Amino acid sequence: MEKRELTCIQCPLSCRITVSGEGDQLKFTGNQCKQGIEYARQEVTNPTRTLTTTVATAFPDFPVLPVRTAGEVPLGKIFEIMKVIRAVQVEQRLKPGEVILENLAGTGTALIATADMCEGVNATAVKL
Amino acid sequence: MSAELDTVKKALAAANLADVEIMERQGAVVLEGRVKNWQQYIEAGYAASGLGFRGVVNDLEVEELESSKQQGISSPDDLSIEKYSFDAVVIGGGVIGCAVARELTRYNIKVALLDKESDLARHTSGRNNGMIHPAMAVKRGTKKHQYNLRGNRMFRKVANELGFELKWPGSFAMLDKNWQLLLGPYARGIASKKGVQGFQVLSKWKVKELEPNAWEEQKGSFYMPETGVVDPYKVTVAYAENAMQNGATIFLNTKVLGFEKENNRITAIRTNRGTLPAGIVINAAGIWADKVAEMAGDRFYTIHPRKGVIAILDKKTGSTQNYILGRAQLSSEAKTKGGGLVPLLDGNILAGPTADEVPGREDYSTEPHELQHILEHHLVLNRALQKSDIITYFAGTRACTFEEDFIIETSEYVENLVHVAGIQSPGLASAPAIAVDVGDMAAKILKEKMDLKENQDFNPQRKLTPQPDRLSLDERNQLINNWPAYGQIVCRCELVSEGEIADAIHAPLAARTLDAVKRRARAGMGRCQGGFCTPAVINILARETGRQVTEICKHEPGSELILGKTRVKGCEQSAN
Amino acid sequence: MAAAAAAAEHGAEVLLVDRESRPGGILKQCIHDGFGVIRYEEKLTGPEYAYRDFEAVRAAGLKVLNNTFVLDLKKSEDSFSLLLQNPDQGAFQVSATALVAATGCRERTSRQVFIHGDRPAGIFSAGTAQNLINLHGYLPGRRVAVLGSGDIGMIMARRLALEGAEVVGVYEIKSEPSGLTRNQVQCLEDYNIPLHLNTTVTKVHGTKRVTGISVAAVGADLKPLAGSETFVSCDTLLLSVGLIPENDILEPLGPEFDAKTGGPVVDQRMMTSVPGLFSCGNATHVNDMVDYVSESGFIAGKSAAGYVQGGGKRGSLKVNAGKNLLYVVPQRLITGEEAVIYFRSAKTMDRVTLVAQAAGKELFREKYLKIRPPEMQKIVLQPLPPEVESVEISLGEAT
Repeated sequence: MEKRELTCIQCPLSCRITVSGEGDQLKFTGNQCKQGIEYARQEVTNPTRTLTTTVATAFPDFPVLPVRTAGEVPLGKIFEIMKVIRAVQVEQRLKPGEVILENLAGTGTALIATADMCEGVNATAVKL
Repeated sequence: MSAELDTVKKALAAANLADVEIMERQGAVVLEGRVKNWQQYIEAGYAASGLGFRGVVNDLEVEELESSKQQGISSPDDLSIEKYSFDAVVIGGGVIGCAVARELTRYNIKVALLDKESDLARHTSGRNNGMIHPAMAVKRGTKKHQYNLRGNRMFRKVANELGFELKWPGSFAMLDKNWQLLLGPYARGIASKKGVQGFQVLSKWKVKELEPNAWEEQKGSFYMPETGVVDPYKVTVAYAENAMQNGATIFLNTKVLGFEKENNRITAIRTNRGTLPAGIVINAAGIWADKVAEMAGDRFYTIHPRKGVIAILDKKTGSTQNYILGRAQLSSEAKTKGGGLVPLLDGNILAGPTADEVPGREDYSTEPHELQHILEHHLVLNRALQKSDIITYFAGTRACTFEEDFIIETSEYVENLVHVAGIQSPGLASAPAIAVDVGDMAAKILKEKMDLKENQDFNPQRKLTPQPDRLSLDERNQLINNWPAYGQIVCRCELVSEGEIADAIHAPLAARTLDAVKRRARAGMGRCQGGFCTPAVINILARETGRQVTEICKHEPGSELILGKTRVKGCEQSAN
Repeated sequence: MAAAAAAAEHGAEVLLVDRESRPGGILKQCIHDGFGVIRYEEKLTGPEYAYRDFEAVRAAGLKVLNNTFVLDLKKSEDSFSLLLQNPDQGAFQVSATALVAATGCRERTSRQVFIHGDRPAGIFSAGTAQNLINLHGYLPGRRVAVLGSGDIGMIMARRLALEGAEVVGVYEIKSEPSGLTRNQVQCLEDYNIPLHLNTTVTKVHGTKRVTGISVAAVGADLKPLAGSETFVSCDTLLLSVGLIPENDILEPLGPEFDAKTGGPVVDQRMMTSVPGLFSCGNATHVNDMVDYVSESGFIAGKSAAGYVQGGGKRGSLKVNAGKNLLYVVPQRLITGEEAVIYFRSAKTMDRVTLVAQAAGKELFREKYLKIRPPEMQKIVLQPLPPEVESVEISLGEAT
């Protein structure tokens, strides 16, 4: 692997960590604590993120529903997951935590609602 | 060469512009050839003015501007106005055009007004400081002076009839040198000769007492109580709506492309939406009036734009100032930079405008030095103001001629054309009076060809939609009870309700863009500049007009605000 | 909601007035995660965080008025009188012994950072764009430039990239990003969005829709360098150039304001200089963590309840932001009571010590490995003896 430079986000120090080497032989420099190594190892081997976005709904007063992945998903799969999410439409009024899709793009992670669709309306200027 | 042309030649030579070619056409002096830059173009125009001709037609090419193209409009071309025919057609939906249109509806004739934009007052009429001048700054004997004075005195009645807000804070023209106070009696004499009522000379101490935050350096002030403030956009719309209520038709997005003539008469107007037969044509095309005059075959003047930048300050500054504040201009040179601070109707203070000669007639871009000028020359006139109080700034252009006076006359070369051109400051103050005279000129021409009678149904009172903030609590609640939309605030800075926005959209002259709603109903006019209410206003516009949100524009076609939807029901939608 | 819940919990009769149709304020459109790290030790999204508070408000049976605006506000001897309006009830008067203003903040506009050029469609504040995308599903732009590297700006850059827009760059006038490092990594680096430091937007081009912007490098004085201007083609300019606490409705009451925070001066009970008027959250000062916003809300709500029940103590002791400090909140203290103090450093500093002193005596000391202005800090000051007249808090070299 070529050298990679990362900014550690585990604490306000924001260490610039340089990672070099292959497989088990990864070398870390620039970190000021052990947390930095763990962070950098994860980032170069399998970076994951929580994806937050919206899905279409069948309700004009709440046209899009905020959602997120129930856990972190591989960073490299984000756009593939977005493709799946774009095809979804929510047909019922959901509450935060309710599952919309299971096993997103084979990640084993579910897509869940994060907003409450039952209380009030989301879009402005639709009620009168 | 005639004696007059010879004088022009000498004047141009004196300005180091001896290469300019000159000739006489239809009584006007025409300048041709090439100059290096815009400054020379302007200098040549002024050098040739006032020397015995009807006007200056400045056709000089400017080397530096060779590459710049004329702005066009992108309205779709159709033939939708071909089915109509009008006795009188007004070109230009600024305050003058709209006031004239309303005046013409006093007769039993069919009146139309054409404007190339998607809303009225898109140019000079919507981009000025809203002042009703006291007729002090204008030269005696000019049309400007005559109309300013008459217009000023008509404004109370017009405001009453048309239901727009008007206040008379009075203005201070402050002096910065002690010796200038010696000019007091002289200035008083001039004021009296000009007909300016209530003119006073105030001591430094009196100014401080009346205006505690006034300019540090003031040594006293001239005071003119008959100086008023209106919202120039709303005055324009008020005139237009009353004209419509009295039978006039307004065609927006309609640009004049030429005229069809028989002998010395216009028979029809060619536009991007078809050809419109017209009995008489009023040229109130503002910044483009000379181009319209040329198309009609009687161009004897040149409009050269003078840009003015204006800054608007947060409403909370309104309590720091009572009067309109400016500096005394002791020279009556029309071109000197004026401007100052105007307390507006809704509590904001307006600073500016600047004054710069620019080639672009609709170039409303702003530059840092212009704002700097406002900070240094205008903002200082009220010590309580800070740069951070500025919530927005914008530019406008004044429709100046080289003669620097209004042109209000029937054409000498086209029987049924009236010129209302070169209307710059104090054009707004003059508008009611100009409209009356142009109405008379038009009537005189029309009488030759038809039996002109008064319109028995003419109603000078404009019908108004409810304004919740002007009502008592009980009246307000009755209004909200009847239609809850009046109780739903959409614009939080200016407290504008959904009902008022819907009213603007459904007004006789429908507001169809975000900017039109903003100027009509004040939604988005406040300190957050639409940051919070823009999404709601877009939705209301789409809902009330039955259009897609992606079709809603900021001001004109091509200024769409939303470029797509991120999610479309049940199908894979790519944003690309 | 935090203030309302706390006030109710401490025995006050509470009315919660909100201008929107659903409670939660700006959190409703902040669909990204990272909220509640301190309060819940979880990374919630904005709507989830708001939902938890709303559940508490609902459970407490609080009276909530939605779609309701304050049209007018007055104070008489011992109560506030509010003129409220909503579509269902019209305009009506309400009076209260104590008032908590949790009115949040608004975004600075393009004109408030003095951008010149034309005024076409396509200039949005980052928050407006966030509202359009996350609450309405509208795409405000396809080729987007972002001015300002505030958190919302970076988060919106990612959001637009996720929705298929091309983000041509984030331009920051300062020499370091003004948002959190986490957002720089996860919003910009993850999506290969270039960040241009020491660069600003000087001009907007386009008369109808934005056609592009002029960007220029800036010198140490933050003024554009002559000759460095280049044209960047885009159809949208997003602005993330700072937030302003919104307290305009308080103006008739005339509380003392702090020019550094933009909010009212408060004591540790979050009471302003107007007795009975409390301020909290982003209306007091702009926070970067919602947890602190809620915390100040709890304090304000509890104190407001205390005020109603007759605990009318008022802070008079001054807290001064000393060396290397941008500001401190609260700016006043009541002696004999513990105080939560929030502060920001004036610049990025390594290995520094924070010291709180009163009359030459040290009250508090804490070391920081690194401290940056975008990351607000919090300390807890023990009750002060009654003779103390002022406290100075400053940052210095670590010792």
